[in-house]
Amino acid sequence: MAGKSKDRRGNVVRNASTRPKSFYPVLVVIAVVGASILAYVASRKPEAAAPTPLKVDAATAGPAQGYLIGNPNAPVTILEFADFECPACGRFATITEPDVRKRIIETGLANLTFYDFPLPQHLNSQSASNAAACADDQGKFWPMHDQLFASQDQWSTQATDNPKPMFMSYAGRIGLDVGKFESCYDARTHQKRIEANFAEGERHKVNSTPTFVIGSQSYANAMSYDELKAAVDSAARK
Amino acid sequence: MTKRMIVAMLALAGIFVALYLLLYKMGVVGNLSCSIGSCETVNTSRWAVFMGAPVAGWGVGFYVMMFVLALASIQDRYADSVGMSRLLVWLSGFGFVFSSWLTYLELFEIKAICQWCVISAIIVTIMFVFAALDLRDRVALSQEGTD
Repeated sequence: MAGKSKDRRGNVVRNASTRPKSFYPVLVVIAVVGASILAYVASRKPEAAAPTPLKVDAATAGPAQGYLIGNPNAPVTILEFADFECPACGRFATITEPDVRKRIIETGLANLTFYDFPLPQHLNSQSASNAAACADDQGKFWPMHDQLFASQDQWSTQATDNPKPMFMSYAGRIGLDVGKFESCYDARTHQKRIEANFAEGERHKVNSTPTFVIGSQSYANAMSYDELKAAVDSAARK
Repeated sequence: MTKRMIVAMLALAGIFVALYLLLYKMGVVGNLSCSIGSCETVNTSRWAVFMGAPVAGWGVGFYVMMFVLALASIQDRYADSVGMSRLLVWLSGFGFVFSSWLTYLELFEIKAICQWCVISAIIVTIMFVFAALDLRDRVALSQEGTD
C-alpha cells in the first residue's frame, strides 16, 4: 500500500512514503542553522566586564550574614533568598513586602532576614548586592533594598552594562555618605559576605528566586501576602 | 512536501526555540534576545517551572517526541497508518492546549509577553493544524480503501 493511493475521485495521491528529495536537505538546513545560532548565543560574552557568576563552596564559604528586619526574638523567622535583578523578587518587594512588614514584621509575629542569591543570568545582580551591602555599612540596607527593587528597570542587565552611576544616585537619594559608599563599592568590600549568603541559599537548596524559608518549610515562589501569612501562622503553631 | 513532513520540520525548529529558552533558564545563555515583550519577566516567573522542571525543558521533550514521531510516520512502514496520524494529532493537540494555557498566563497572570514563547505557540498551533489535516486525509483514504 505504500507508495501511491487513489482518492475518492480516482486521482492518484502521493502518500507519505514518497518523500520529496528536498525534505532531508531542508531538515539538515534547519538543524545547522538552529545549532549555529544556539552555539553563537551560548558562546557570546557579555559586552561589559561583569562579575563572573558566583560559584561558592558552601563548606568553606564562612558564616552567612543576612540582613534582619524586625524583632530578633520573634517567634517565627522568615528567610528570604532573593536576587536584586529578578523581576519576581522585585514584584514581591514592591507589592507584597510593604504589607508583610506592616502586618507581620512590625506586629512582632515574625522577623525577616534577606540573603543575597544573585543568579548567574543577572549580570548586574552581584553589583546590586554589593551596593546594598555598602549601604548597610551606613545602616541603610533596607532603604537601598527598596530603592533597588523599585527601580530595577533602570539598572538591570537589559538596561545597562554599567549600573554604578544609578547606584550612586540612589546612595545620594537615601542619604548615604556617597564618598564612603563609592569607596566601599569599588573595593567590593563585602564580596565574601555576598558569597556566604549565596552559599547559605545553596545549603537550603535554593534554585529559584525568591525562595522563602519560613520555620522549617521552604517556599520557592513569590508568595502573596495571604500565602505568606498562612505560612507564618502555620510555623507559629508548630 | 507532505503534511507529516511539515510537522517534522516545525518540530525540529521548535526544538531549537525551546532549547534556547532552556539554556537561558540553566544560565548558559546570559541574556535573551528579546526585541518584543519581556522574555526575562516571563522566564523568571513562578510559571516558568512546571512540576519541578523548567517549562522550556518540557518544551524540548515535547518537540523531540513530535519530531521522532513525525519522522517515523513518513517511513514506508507507517506511511498509511491512521493510528500514527491520530497519535500526531493527540500529541500536537496536547501541546496546543498546554501552549494556550501558557499564553493565557503570559497575558493575564504574568502580564508580559515573551516573543520566543509566542513563536513556540505559533509553531505548535501550525503543527496541530497540519496533523489534523493529515488525519483527515488518512481517514478519507482508508475509507476509500474499505468502500
